[in-house]
Amino acid sequence: MISFARQLNLIDYSLSSLWRRRGKSLGVMVVFAGVIFLLASFQMTTRALTDAAADLLAYAPEITIQKMTAGRQESIPLEYQEKLSSIWGIRAITPRVWGYYFNEISGANYTILGLDPHSMPLGDQLGQAIDTGALPEAHEVVLGQGVNAEVAGGDKSIFSLFRPDLSLKAFALAGTFKAETNLLTYDTLFMNLDDARDLFAMAEDMATDLCVTVANPSEVSTIAKKIAALLPDTRVVTRQQVQKTYQAVFGWRSGFASICLLTALASFIIFAWDKASGLTPEERKEISVLKIIGWQTSDVLVLRFWEGVIVSLVSFVVGYTLAYIHVSFFEASLFRPILLGWSVLHPALRLRPSVELGETLLILCLTVVPYLAATVIPAWRAAIIPADSALN
Amino acid sequence: MFLSAWSLALSLLSLVALILTVIATRTAVKVLRWWDPASDSNRQIRLENETWLSSTLVQYGMGFQILSLLLFVLAADHFSQVISGAMCATGALTANAYGMPTLLLKILGAFFYGFWIVLHGFDIRSEQYPLLKAKYIALVCLLPLLAVDVVSQTLYLANLKPDIITSCCAVVFGEGGGDSGNLLGAVPQGTLSMLFYGIALVLVFCGSFLLRCLHPLLLWLNGLVWLLFVGVSLVAITTIFSSYIYAMPYHHCPFCILKPEYGYIGLLIYGTLLPAAFFGISGALAELIPTRIGLDAVVHRFQKTAMLLSTLLLVLFVLVVSYHFVVYRLMGGEGG
Repeated sequence: MISFARQLNLIDYSLSSLWRRRGKSLGVMVVFAGVIFLLASFQMTTRALTDAAADLLAYAPEITIQKMTAGRQESIPLEYQEKLSSIWGIRAITPRVWGYYFNEISGANYTILGLDPHSMPLGDQLGQAIDTGALPEAHEVVLGQGVNAEVAGGDKSIFSLFRPDLSLKAFALAGTFKAETNLLTYDTLFMNLDDARDLFAMAEDMATDLCVTVANPSEVSTIAKKIAALLPDTRVVTRQQVQKTYQAVFGWRSGFASICLLTALASFIIFAWDKASGLTPEERKEISVLKIIGWQTSDVLVLRFWEGVIVSLVSFVVGYTLAYIHVSFFEASLFRPILLGWSVLHPALRLRPSVELGETLLILCLTVVPYLAATVIPAWRAAIIPADSALN
Repeated sequence: MFLSAWSLALSLLSLVALILTVIATRTAVKVLRWWDPASDSNRQIRLENETWLSSTLVQYGMGFQILSLLLFVLAADHFSQVISGAMCATGALTANAYGMPTLLLKILGAFFYGFWIVLHGFDIRSEQYPLLKAKYIALVCLLPLLAVDVVSQTLYLANLKPDIITSCCAVVFGEGGGDSGNLLGAVPQGTLSMLFYGIALVLVFCGSFLLRCLHPLLLWLNGLVWLLFVGVSLVAITTIFSSYIYAMPYHHCPFCILKPEYGYIGLLIYGTLLPAAFFGISGALAELIPTRIGLDAVVHRFQKTAMLLSTLLLVLFVLVVSYHFVVYRLMGGEGG
């Protein structure tokens, strides 16, 4: 019915008409690209953070057991391990000692993690996360990038931390974690189980929690239920739950931010509506001349549709590209504090935004659709200008 | 779960489509009450101008409806990462009673918008606008469908709780007998694939015959067979073809094929099946246009184009959907 060549001619005409009104078109495009940039940056940052968390959690233990007393977590006795020996399907149980260490000089909280890598089935793979050096032996420690810069000053090989009674405990630097794992390890000191107990002044037969590795991934929930039944005073957390919680938190925060940005979108829509409604005398004249030379109302409507599509697509490409540059090269510096938490040591994550059809379509629906809808009625008002109005 | 960019986008999209259709319906009501082709009063001229607005709005509405259908499935896939127990869109869509109905309403909505645009296309071909009243009655009927769609989607999003345990597609479409969560029971694969290819062959023959001679009875028959074929295809994609695409015998899911991991092949599959069905069915529905109003030539030309398009898209659909299946059967593997 409507030939391809005719549409091409209409696109050609709408391009030249946009060029003739380049001041007005450019104004709309700049504001529109700005709105798209904000929304797309948020979406890309959320997505990149979720991906980073999922990648890192892939090596986390399937099940974590924490002892609960009066609704608070406390140290778990190592003898609990033996109670679980009756459950088939558990590959290994690894006790962990971890906690926070407050550095009074910098005012930052470090995460201390102590565990015996050789007692875990995938323990040797921990070495993959270490950039330089090796797994810690006795009185040795592996540092996250942030702690390394702060505590060890970048090139120190020996440093000390305070025990609770303020006596000093010395550590030798065994290595540092890779920058890719910054989301989890940026503020971490990784050491031997005994060293961690010594630092926290914890009893010999205690641990902070127990990590359970399960041989068959499809049995995780069944085993988790059995553990919960055998050890009623504990909280059993599966890796999947942790992952979903991460996503829910990032998703919730990005949704909240999107609602805030909707106000920006709404004001842009009003701006676009206003720009499209206010016809200059030249534009009225142009349309009536077109009508006189034989254009139909529908042709003018199609022309306006193409103008809207061109403006949206150009703004979309510009805004989306800027968002990509913002997230990947400037590490989403505008929004990261909102999405990542408020700790003093901010992980300097290298975010890798992924361009995926679904996400692109999401931003397109949030921005281009309202714009097209807002300009359709002004376009129609312009299109029904009668042919004789140029003569008046 | 409204506090997510996906829920916001879906709600915004539906709301925009609804508002546009409401404005179009306002014109429809005015036209049904006041339209008088013999008059040259101001009101008549205004109404004539407004008919342009309403048809443009419905065309935009259809575009947004198709977008919202696609976004809904992608959003469901995204929600599955947050809802515990759900592993893909199936789990998210069955997380409450409104997921599947909303999906069906969206597909139905896109089809009805399309039929309306075809009707509008016929109408503006004649200077007397002979189908004007019928067209606007249809538009008034379209509005409740869209409203139900919006309500159902809102209920779906509102009842989506991230902590509800749902079944993932491995359970829902799995073969395990006696499973209450099983959407599709044990369908014998041999019979189903014979039925699928059989009907496809019948449709290709029908289509190529209709291209030469538009027989009214055959057109209706063709439309009915198309309806049947859409159902059979969806079952066949779920139970047979999808697992060959995933290269996993126990993964039967009609939504995961839309994911980037499988090269978006699902978009091509549904993007050929649904338009093919649309043209097949609208060719038959075009027979409803009475012959006395003098649109015969236009209707016949549309029917021929529709038959050509539906047959071509059908062939493409069968080729794409069978690709992994045939490669596996011939090479005994993924074929490198």
